[in-house]
Amino acid sequence: MRRLPAPVHPVAWWLWAIGLAVAASFTTDPLLLLLLIGVACFVVVLRRGDAPWARSLRVYLLLGAFIVVVRVAFRCFLGASGSGTVLLDLPRIPLPDWAAGVSLLGPIHLSDVLDGLYDGLRLAAMIICIGAANSLANPKRLLKVVPIALYDIGTVVVVAVSVFPQIADSIGRVRRAQRLRPDSGGRKWHVVRRMIVPVLADALDRSLLLAAAMDSRGYGRRGPTPVRTRRILGVLTVAGLIAVCIGVFGVLDDRAPAAFRWPAFVLGVALAAVGLAFSARERTVTRYRVDPFGVTACAVAASGLAAGGLMILAGQYAPAHLNPSTTPATWPVVDLLPLMAAVIGLLAAVVSPPSAIQGLDEEVPA
Amino acid sequence: MKSLTAARTAGDGQDLVTTLGGHAVPLRARSAVMLVLISIAGLAMFCWPLLTHHDASGSAHVTDAPIIFAVTLPLLVFVILAEFADGGMDSKALAMLGVLSAVDAALRPTGGGTGGIETVFFLLILAGRVFGPGFGFVLGCTSLFASALITAGVGPWLPFQMLCSAWIGMGAGLLPRRVRGTREIVMLIGYGIVSAYLFGALMNLYSWPFLAGADISGHANLAYSSAYSLLENLHRFGVYTLVTSTGGWDTGRAITNAVAIAVLGRPVLVVLRRAARRASYDLVRSAD
Repeated sequence: MRRLPAPVHPVAWWLWAIGLAVAASFTTDPLLLLLLIGVACFVVVLRRGDAPWARSLRVYLLLGAFIVVVRVAFRCFLGASGSGTVLLDLPRIPLPDWAAGVSLLGPIHLSDVLDGLYDGLRLAAMIICIGAANSLANPKRLLKVVPIALYDIGTVVVVAVSVFPQIADSIGRVRRAQRLRPDSGGRKWHVVRRMIVPVLADALDRSLLLAAAMDSRGYGRRGPTPVRTRRILGVLTVAGLIAVCIGVFGVLDDRAPAAFRWPAFVLGVALAAVGLAFSARERTVTRYRVDPFGVTACAVAASGLAAGGLMILAGQYAPAHLNPSTTPATWPVVDLLPLMAAVIGLLAAVVSPPSAIQGLDEEVPA
Repeated sequence: MKSLTAARTAGDGQDLVTTLGGHAVPLRARSAVMLVLISIAGLAMFCWPLLTHHDASGSAHVTDAPIIFAVTLPLLVFVILAEFADGGMDSKALAMLGVLSAVDAALRPTGGGTGGIETVFFLLILAGRVFGPGFGFVLGCTSLFASALITAGVGPWLPFQMLCSAWIGMGAGLLPRRVRGTREIVMLIGYGIVSAYLFGALMNLYSWPFLAGADISGHANLAYSSAYSLLENLHRFGVYTLVTSTGGWDTGRAITNAVAIAVLGRPVLVVLRRAARRASYDLVRSAD
């Protein structure tokens, strides 16, 4: 019997996707962006399983298309202001005073369309890269690596993700029970009410059973944290949050004193992070079947991070063609370094094994 | 037995959870202070295009700010969630949160967000009402997070959506406790409508700089500009949100909330209160 390949660590897929998204954020070259989107989609199609989250790529692609369309429409129809070739000479319609001096339509230039397209495509590429991670990484395994302070919240989400398929089951059971009763022929919203209330009641009953099961297995037992430690950590966290509040407003405003800007913000975030990290230090939680972050995971993460790194390097050393000019419009040119950055993410598909479910399909032809 | 409980609850017009002051997720003084601070910082991260003020030379930070906020806000949300969890969330509250998040995640695709028909909020409002502000806050975060993991939806906007719906759940828990019966449903419908428009405005405020872009060269456009004052930017945003979404999405969401609470509010409240009584989130009840 052949051993099933171990699934790639979900954090590796997220690092890979973040690397690709970083790469996308450093360029507006449409060829490079389409290449990055293509790489992300290719890897997803090759390596996804058949869990519900694995089918989400289509939604992200639609969202990306929506962003591009909205962005171009905004550039073109709300006070277009480009220069150069006029594509469509529309009359300009000034709106009344209350509309903050906005005017509709006006002549649409080629540069308006291209600016909107490039900007939108960059945002869409970043979102599709995140979507790729969403389809590839198993959220239940991802939630196993949450820091100990967030263990309870992580458990809540694990419960939610695990209970989710049972709701379909519960709906089926309620419908069967209803079919056994005579049809009351009520109005339409009666059907909704007769469906949602029993399903909800069923789910809540199940939650009590689950809680009893967790209690009986000793969930949430913890040693007492010394009062002094708790108090110090509380003061630290609150001080950090106050500093964050000051820092946020300072960062946004040039007129704030220098110490109340980035220093306050960074210090506050650091204090809050320390408070978070130490708040549950006394808790010991055993983890069941920890996923190793093995060689495959490292290679997957490295291929994505290399994409981001190479694109940053390209921005430093060969920035000439990363942001193609729109006035005058030129055909986008791709240099060697950015091209490597765009395609190196494909290595993830080479080094990672196919999803276990797909492997089974191949062995047992239907 | 059942009639006895019913008589007892009907007698003082309140259920036991409220009478004994037991909340599923207790809101301690420290949690409340942190919550207020994080809400201030979070609100500023939503409103940054309105608050920002830069000279022409300092425009580099304008593009940095949203990225840094998108990284920082999750940390702030984690801090407050960890604080709630630390403050005594027992396994029953935890299982209830998980199951309700799953139900909410299952409700979400039924509306699909088309035309603003958003079915997430009505259960969130009802659960926040029954189980208290702390529970509502955590449920707002976990239900959006779980539904984003199950169906598509993880992205830089997720922490902002989580915080927004957490505020909605918390607000529902903070509504006056004594109102019961038909007046309660009417109050919740009103809250549902108000929160739908507020959610729409805040999420619009978040996406505004991304969809409309920044107005760098200062021509008539619906984008924000750091050179303008708060009022001018607010005016532009008002026009933007009125034109793009108030008519369609936000109104659709408000109608969904109102209809769902009107039709399902009473039976769902009964089911939730029954579960709350059975779980009895307080020491006095669980002792007997």
